[in-house]
Amino acid sequence: MRNRDLSFWLFLAPVILALVLVVFVPLLYGTIYSFTDWDGIKTSQFVGLDHYITLFQDSEFLNALQFTTLFSIASILLINAFGLSLALIVTSKLKSRNVLRTIFFMPNLIGGLILGFIWQFIFIKVFSSIGTLFGIPFLNGWLSTTETGFWGLVILMTWQLSGYVMVIYIAYLQGIPNELIEAAEIDGASPFQKFWRVKFPLIAPAFTVSLFLTLSNSFKLYDQNLALTDGGPYNSTQMLAMDIVKTAFTDNNMAYAQAKAVIFFIIVAIFSLSQVYFNKKREVDL
Amino acid sequence: MKKRFLFVAVLLLSCLGLIACSSDESNSTKEKSGESNQDGDSAEEVSIEVFQFKVEFKDQFEELAALYEEENEHVTINIETVGGGSDYASVLKAKISSGEEPTIFNIGGPSDVEQYEDLLADVSDTDAANAALDSTLTGVSQDGAVLGLPYNQEGYGMIYNKKVFEEAGVDPSTIQSLEDLEAAAKTIDSKKDELGLQAVIAFPVKETWVTGQHLANVFLTPEFDGDVMKAYQSNSVAFQHGEQMKAFIDFQNKYSVQPTLSLDYSQQVEELFSTGQVAMIQQGNWVYSTIESMDPEVAENDIGILPIPLDGEMKMPVGVPNYWAVNKNKDEAEIKAAKDFLDWIYTSETGKQFVLEEFKFIPAYEGYDESKIADPLSQEIYAYATDGKTSGWTFNGYPVAWAQDILGANIQKYVSDAATWDEIVEESIAEWEKSRQ
Repeated sequence: MRNRDLSFWLFLAPVILALVLVVFVPLLYGTIYSFTDWDGIKTSQFVGLDHYITLFQDSEFLNALQFTTLFSIASILLINAFGLSLALIVTSKLKSRNVLRTIFFMPNLIGGLILGFIWQFIFIKVFSSIGTLFGIPFLNGWLSTTETGFWGLVILMTWQLSGYVMVIYIAYLQGIPNELIEAAEIDGASPFQKFWRVKFPLIAPAFTVSLFLTLSNSFKLYDQNLALTDGGPYNSTQMLAMDIVKTAFTDNNMAYAQAKAVIFFIIVAIFSLSQVYFNKKREVDL
Repeated sequence: MKKRFLFVAVLLLSCLGLIACSSDESNSTKEKSGESNQDGDSAEEVSIEVFQFKVEFKDQFEELAALYEEENEHVTINIETVGGGSDYASVLKAKISSGEEPTIFNIGGPSDVEQYEDLLADVSDTDAANAALDSTLTGVSQDGAVLGLPYNQEGYGMIYNKKVFEEAGVDPSTIQSLEDLEAAAKTIDSKKDELGLQAVIAFPVKETWVTGQHLANVFLTPEFDGDVMKAYQSNSVAFQHGEQMKAFIDFQNKYSVQPTLSLDYSQQVEELFSTGQVAMIQQGNWVYSTIESMDPEVAENDIGILPIPLDGEMKMPVGVPNYWAVNKNKDEAEIKAAKDFLDWIYTSETGKQFVLEEFKFIPAYEGYDESKIADPLSQEIYAYATDGKTSGWTFNGYPVAWAQDILGANIQKYVSDAATWDEIVEESIAEWEKSRQ
């Protein structure tokens, strides 16, 4: 690690270059624009912190923030619970485990927009047909209220991402040394004890990765949101990313949207980094 | 350590250098391959970049441009189409800020005029501008200059299924007010099982443009005398006809397929109306080609359009959805070529024929043979226009995004009982005033 000579930097240059061009420069520009009255074409003056002050009184932004937070909590819990359960199923001695792995992973291969439209069809058409057929009023009118829109999104995300985090859990579950499990068995541990006392602590690094992925994915969700509910009814299921796009391209408030985006970036960064920090502490070394 | 910082610094600088260099290289001249100027005396080669948003007529438009290129060999026309409202604006902005400004692009109304002011050339010297119907240019006129040329005219109202009306024993010509319309809906509703209907109306509250822009426009336009510029300059909106707007929303919602909050445009037009599962929808002449593709017979024989009643009057709201604008930052030859091209579309014989028969437009210009208007909806709308029984479109003069994001969303709130009518009117007025401060 010590000898950082010319070749070290040469090998690193392409990555640094790419990173600077597509991440740091836009970030810098964006932050600067958020202090101006940029409208996408011209900038006429600096407005200082005005955008940031209005932002915290903007009920639409705060609603979106609240909705996104609640959605993230619900979907992170469900995705990881489902992902881990699926991983436990396909690492057991089932005969069909290889087929199941592929099947569980498949939803993740479909693009978010298409998934959104597929589920829109399921929620609106299939649900209401089943509801009318069996007389379950609960299944009628999905996506036409805020609550059903919320749970619709959570279901969609869980369905899509569970398979993905499952793969991560599988990798760590298979990495657990066999002798530890055998030792537990000899000591007379029940299957639940084996899971809770042996496997669970040993796959802590998987939680760090999975929680990070699901957290940032749920927070930054846009395409599924757009395809499934488009923010409706009355913008109550609009998430942060969508609110920002709307502010920028529909309301034409480019600079204000930039300010929102900066705050959004800070929030996502704080949540994900502190999550990683606390989870890292929990990890155990063998 | 020092060396390392030096290196990072050099790297960063070289990045900046790359960025700075790259911007000089655009505007490279395009060469028309293999085609040298054999005529010798013909004008200099010009290429026009057209950036437009109407996806529906992309193919026909490109065909027309190819014809123009044949007639005028020195002109090359490059057409780029990006569809669907908000995408168009964002791509256009990206193009402008990256220096790839198109020669011809689209603007919607006064707020676009203000935003793109530095780019808009005066087109009042074109034949098309002279031929444009008077009322169609108000939204793009500024201090005597005309900054855009109308695409076409469009109109909307309650599109109904003639066959269903006949079978239910309702004569559409007797409908002259909201009461008549309600009576008709009631009659049809009572017979809906025999008629094979799911409901009388499909009311897509999900589509905020149907409610916030079109529906509301009928009731708000009189406040601005149907003048989009008056709406644009107004500091407030009074909802003078708010009660009638409420009544009309209640009416549509009551007789509609439920839940209206998740009902969208394609369900409304394709799934429910063109298959004869509902008798009426609030839409405009642009749905014709969709209905035609679903069921050509229904489209040709069974559909008619009624205006939305206001104060016991039946006036058809007719307006210009979009304008062509010419970029004044281009060199003179290119600007002239662009103007000539637009002139040719709307005033030459070939162009006129295309506008009516291929584009299926309701022309916004004089000198067209009305009998050739392609579809029955457009014909009916044109008839209202010639009888002077029209009102204007003013929603392009509302504050940006007010119609859809504020009013449209508020109507969703009202329909889902999350707010009362008075609350949403109050909030909508407040938002209008806030953005006009």
